[in-house]
Order: sequence, then C-alpha cells, then structure tokens
Amino acid sequence: MYARKGYELVKDLANGEKGQLQPFNEDLFNQVVDQCTQHYLELQALIRKMQEESVDVRETRNSDHYGALIHHLSLIRNKRCLMAYVHNRAEVIQNFAWKVGLELLELPEEIQEKLSPSEKNYFGKHSSALQSYMAEVGIDLNVDMVPPKDPYIKVRVLDDMGEGILLSDKTANLARHSMHFLKRTDAEQYIARGLMEELTG
Amino acid sequence: MATEESASVMDDYEMLISTTDVALLKRAWRNEKAAPEILQFESSLVQRIKEQIELAEQNEEIFEANNIEPLTVSLYQMDLDRTQFLLRSYLRVRLQKIEKYLFYVLKTDEYLNRLSKQEQMFARRCTDDLGSHLDETVLAKLPDNYRSILKQSITSEEDDMVPAPRLDTFVICKAKQYLSGLDFEPEYSMEITEMERDLLTFVCYKFVKKPLENGKIDLV
Amino acid sequence: MAGQSDSTMSLFSSEEIEFMAEDEMTEIVPNLRMDSLNFICGDYGPFLPQLAAQVPLWLALALKKRGKCTIRLPQWMSVENLTRVLEAERDSHAFQPLPFHYIEISRLLFDHAREDIPDMYMVRSLVEDIRDVRFHKVETNLEKFTASTVTWKNMSAMEVNVIRAFAGRALQAFYKHDNEQQTQDTDRALDKQPQIPTDRPKRNLKPR
Repeated sequence: MYARKGYELVKDLANGEKGQLQPFNEDLFNQVVDQCTQHYLELQALIRKMQEESVDVRETRNSDHYGALIHHLSLIRNKRCLMAYVHNRAEVIQNFAWKVGLELLELPEEIQEKLSPSEKNYFGKHSSALQSYMAEVGIDLNVDMVPPKDPYIKVRVLDDMGEGILLSDKTANLARHSMHFLKRTDAEQYIARGLMEELTG
Repeated sequence: MATEESASVMDDYEMLISTTDVALLKRAWRNEKAAPEILQFESSLVQRIKEQIELAEQNEEIFEANNIEPLTVSLYQMDLDRTQFLLRSYLRVRLQKIEKYLFYVLKTDEYLNRLSKQEQMFARRCTDDLGSHLDETVLAKLPDNYRSILKQSITSEEDDMVPAPRLDTFVICKAKQYLSGLDFEPEYSMEITEMERDLLTFVCYKFVKKPLENGKIDLV
Repeated sequence: MAGQSDSTMSLFSSEEIEFMAEDEMTEIVPNLRMDSLNFICGDYGPFLPQLAAQVPLWLALALKKRGKCTIRLPQWMSVENLTRVLEAERDSHAFQPLPFHYIEISRLLFDHAREDIPDMYMVRSLVEDIRDVRFHKVETNLEKFTASTVTWKNMSAMEVNVIRAFAGRALQAFYKHDNEQQTQDTDRALDKQPQIPTDRPKRNLKPR
C-alpha cells in the first residue's frame, strides 16, 4: 500500500519514549525517499501519456488523471511523514541544549551516536544561537532550571567527622549527633556519603 | 452596585500601589507559561527587574565588605535567587515557544512584533539553522515541486506545512474584575458573554485572548 | 507536524506551584531584633521580638529553620475550621473557600514548622481528608461537563493542575462537537485540497 513506509517511520518515532531518541532510522528513511521519487516518476509518466493522447490535462477526469492524483497525494503524505520525523527529532535535539548541555561533547556518547551528521551539525548551530542570545541579553539561561530552595539546610552528623572541618563559609566541629545549619552545597557530599542526614520539621 | 464599584476601585488602587515588579513578572511568567501562543514581551518590566537584580548583587558585595550578619545576607540571597529564577524562567519559556513555532512566528508579523530584539535575532538564526537541516535531510531529496518547507507542494495555496499555535487550547483563567460582553471579541459573543470576578473559568484560549491582552484576566 | 499538544509546555511543575505558594503572606512572631529587609519582592520588617509580623511564606520558613521565629498557624488551618470545611465539602457539590495554595502551604508547614502546629496529626489528617473529598469531587464534576465553558468557585492550584491536561482535551472535544457546522466546513475545505493538484501540478509539469 502506498505511503505505508512513511507511516512506519512516524510510528518508529511515536513508539520511542518521550524526549528520548532512537538511532536515526536511515534505512527506512531512505526507503520513503525512494518511494517519493518513484511516485513522481509514475505521476510524470501518466501525465506524459495524457499529453500523448492529446487529452486536456487540466480538465480531463479519466483514470490516468486519478492515477496521477493518487501518486501526488502519496508523495505529499510521504513528505509529511519525513518532515514530521526529522522535525520532531529536531525538537528533541533542541531540548538537549536545555536539559543536557550546550556543547556536543557534553552530550553522553549514547546520545551522540543516535544523531545523524546533519543533526549533530544542527545541534551545534542551535546551541550557538542560544549562546549568542544569552550573551546579548547578559543572562545565563542554562542555570536555575527549577525554582530555588533555601541554600541552607539543617543536618545531623551521623558519624564523628572531627573538628575544624573547612566549609565554604566557615569551619565547623562536626561531632557525632551534633546538629548544624550548613550550605546545601557543602552538606550534599557528606549526605551522599552517609555521614550526615538532612533534618526537616 | 455603587459600593461594589467603589470596592473594586479601591482594590485597583491598592493593587497599583502594592504591586511590585516581582509580582508583575510572576504574572507575566504565569501567563506566558499557560498561553498557547507567544505574548507581548514585557520589555520595560524586564529592564526594571534586571536593574533591581544588579542593585541587589552590588548590595551583596557591600554586605560582605561591612560584615553584615550571615543571617541577613542569606535572606537577601534568597530574595535574589527567587527573582533570578523568575526572570530566567520567563525568558526561557519564551525561547521554547519560539523554538516550537519557529516558521510560524517568523512569517507572522503580529508575532514577530511581540518579540524582543534579541528574541527576533534568535528566531531568525534558528529558522535558518532548522531550515537548512530540513533542506539537507529531507527536502533536497524530494522532486522539485515538493521542496518547499512551508507548503506541501507548489500547488498548495496556503502554507500548509507550518505548525501553528493552537488557539483553541483550553486554558484556566481568573478575571480580576467583572467582565461583560464588551470585554470579549464580538466574534465569540455566542460562546462567552460575561465572566465573574475571581471565578476560575476553563475556557477556549481564543475567547479570552482580548481581555488577557488588556490585562483584565490572568491565566493560572 | 501540526496539531501537537501543548500540554507539556503549559503545565506548571509541582516545584513551580510550590514556588508560587511560597509568596503567600504568613504571620510570624520573631524572637530577634532585625532591621527592615528591603527585598526586590517588597519591604518587610523591622522585626522585634514577640511582635507579630507579616512576611511571605518562604521568608517565614527560612527564619523558622534558623530558629528565629515561630509561625502562627493560619486561621483556616485550625482544627475547628478544617472540621467544618470537611463536613461542608462532604455535604455539598460546591468547593468550600480555602486558599488557592492550601495543599502546598499546609505541606510546607507540616514539613518545616511542625512544632508550631498544635494538634499536628489531627490537622494533617483533616487536610488530607479534605483534599481527597475535593479530588473526588473534581472527578465527578468532570463527568458532568456539558458546556464549552466551565466555571469553578474556590478550586485550588493543585486541583487545577491535576485536571488541566485531562479536562483541557475533553473540553476541546466538546467545543468541537458544539461547533459541528463550523468543523465540517473546515473539513470540507481540506477535502477540497486534493482536488487542486489535479488542475495544477499538471500545468506545472507540462514543460518537463
């Protein structure tokens, strides 16, 4: 059936997890492109035939006319599928610039290998458009992605950590079971290592 | 009726004197996030907020030099953090909308005029970049008559390939004052005739576009 | 390419809703002396020990965490009021008046100001019950949607957010059916498009 492959291509896109990319499906993509060429050849052939038979190509509604129409519509449908495929992937790629990083090299290997060469190129250009916007406005937009929290948190020390420990804004004696009010950024490493716990309430 | 009216005049007055730029920015941010299309850039508001952020940053240095209590300093820091988040998020949500409706924004003067100068530059660059990516990947491989980025084929009379914001998206809004039929576009007079103050209304975006632009309702 | 849903872009994350809730004014009783705070978001203070002051919730919580104040429980969070609200919620289809951010405000206070809430467990379970009754009401209300414009009194931020994505699409469908005539017209216009190429691609193709 005509335009079946285009449908499969879009399906491939829709089946993937939202915001994630599958490898660029070069094989299927090229098959759809080939179908477009094929439809066009057949469309031209039908029109040539009508011309050879000296029928009025614009007014006649014979089987050749409707044949040509079907090829035209199939071609358009395929085009829309191809564009939807590339455009939707481009949207995901735009989002990488927000969510992952602005440099191609910052993207994890497993993302990079899913991009086509043109997509890699696009990512680079789009990121630099974003960077020049930020430079023009003088505001870095790639930080503060979520609303800020109190930069300080209350913690309890779970294990003796010793005296005179150097933190970014003070030195502290972190005796076992003692409670402190620390910068979130200072405390996070200790919490991760199980040396402290955050207190609420 | 008279008392109601004077009450609302009072409210407006109180709002006028008590509304800070941060509150205005929060409103702009909320509306921008909730509206399906890009809204007018709040250029003077953004300018004022930027100045206030700069001032607050200078103050931080002064605090440090004068050994102001860490407690006070951390509270000022939090205020600054909150404002910076709002500003960044506001600018960010606008860029994301531009990214999403690139071709539409660029070919629609009304939208283009709503952007800041920097946003316009961004939109132009992005359109070129995405355009050449689509050209290279798809369009150049298609027959001549089907190579337009905006049209399905040369027989299309309109730009039938361009994703446009959907103005029939439903939004939730709250009127800041009682709205009568006159506050809405006449074209929707069958759908919407009035809106009570402070009542949450779930409504088609295009019906309330006009009062939103006139600052009479807020999206939530 | 056209016709994608905008829901992901227009939704507020729960962190963002909490951020908005943190701007709600709250009464505190400071235990320190502190000069006025001239913030970008407004001026607060000066603060004197034992003298109640109005500040945004985020500031109240920051002072509370630093042991510099007690937070006065908002009036609507008293056991008496919540009991009354819960009963009324159960008895009526309407939503009772509560702050737009009642869910977030109460959660923030439960998390960070436990010792300032007398009958903490009672209050918390009342708020949870009220929330459940109201969410249930939201769901049943959705079944009754009949018009293309729907209004609600006293619905809260979290409730709005929860139903936004679902109800938005449902209402879009209602609107579409309400305007059947119009929709058909545009459909017909679309149907017409395929006809056009029969006239013109050929004309364009001729020279080749």
